[in-house]
Amino acid sequence: MSGNTLTDRYVHEVVRRIPADQRADVADELRTTIADTADARGAADPEAAERAVLTEMGDPIRLAAKYADRPLALIGPELYPAYVRLLKLLLTTVLPIVVAVLVVIEVLDSNDVGAAIGSAIGGILTVGAQMIAWLTVVFALIDRSRHRETAVAEVDQWSPDDLPELRQTEKRDSGAALAIGWNALVLALIVWQHTAAPYRAGNDRIEVLDPALWSGWIWPILVGLAGVVTLEVIRFATRTCTMLHAGLYAVAELLVTLPLAWILSQHKFFNPAFLADVNNGWTVPDAVYTIAVIAVLLVSGSEIVSRFREARAQS
Amino acid sequence: MADAEELILSQAQELRRGTVVLACLALLEAPQYGYALLVTLNDAGVTVDGNTLYPLLRRLEKQGLLTSDWNTDESRPRKFYRVTPEGSRVRAGLVREWEDLVDSIARLTKENR
Repeated sequence: MSGNTLTDRYVHEVVRRIPADQRADVADELRTTIADTADARGAADPEAAERAVLTEMGDPIRLAAKYADRPLALIGPELYPAYVRLLKLLLTTVLPIVVAVLVVIEVLDSNDVGAAIGSAIGGILTVGAQMIAWLTVVFALIDRSRHRETAVAEVDQWSPDDLPELRQTEKRDSGAALAIGWNALVLALIVWQHTAAPYRAGNDRIEVLDPALWSGWIWPILVGLAGVVTLEVIRFATRTCTMLHAGLYAVAELLVTLPLAWILSQHKFFNPAFLADVNNGWTVPDAVYTIAVIAVLLVSGSEIVSRFREARAQS
Repeated sequence: MADAEELILSQAQELRRGTVVLACLALLEAPQYGYALLVTLNDAGVTVDGNTLYPLLRRLEKQGLLTSDWNTDESRPRKFYRVTPEGSRVRAGLVREWEDLVDSIARLTKENR
């Protein structure tokens, strides 16, 4: 084994893509097989024979996929339709809304048409790219976990009873897309108002939300929102809602709701400087915060309950 | 007409695909290593590429139909595969299926010749 022949390089490329416990054995077998084949081809020019054999064996990535019994696709045929449908929904409904919001803010902020067009184009490119990228990552992960499950437990029996009601699917699809878009939008807005500090008070640019939140309560909220978005994408892709899913959803939702309710009840939601500038000396009555807390708790409570209902109906 | 030729070729490949497993289980009653098995199969008219056969052998081993041993008697150590008792049972079942299939297809295609 000299270490840097074509065969060595080829074998290395194959085995580094298969499970570690099989690597040494597959490598040894592949090496002898390539040598056997090359010997049979031509003793006259061993190097040309080696090259011909490797060409015939083909792309190491393909061969490794055969050894590992793994699909050569990021998103397999089972999930592909759901992926395309959700991507279409996001790009045709949520993206325009986000871009419109960006443009309105830019116009209010600078009153400049050129800048507004610039932020529209920038918004389409960056927000659109983010949507495509994250959706693809989540679907690829679902596909990977699914493939492993079905490989182990074979496929679970499908019956015509599993056919979803037409109306219901449509409603649920758009509902899920709306929830994904809404939660992602809130997540993006929270981060954006922190990094861009868009509000202008006098000569200062300030954040809308209390900056003190970033050393504490905002983090569980961001994690929870990301969790909700991920779980909604999974629900949309697999079209099922298991008890586990409902449980995880409840955790993510509570991660958002409880800190949010606490922040609101402590009147620590908005940036005091922002409030002072907006309200011009008028203070927000406590009742507004109380109502906000109750609304937040009610909405998320009903979401969690409906998720568990759906899970129970499907089990 | 070249199209028809091509279609026959690709459909024939589909037909042959499943027969490689049966041929392997039949041939590996006697221990054999990868490349020699490939040559025997191709000489026998069961055409298969190395990059399909070698991963297939490992899969059959993982399923418990084959077992393997490294033979280090010769200068080049080789991995020899052999059918397990379970593999023999599966082969017997596949042979029955194959004979049924041949009978059915023979009956179906009789009038059309």
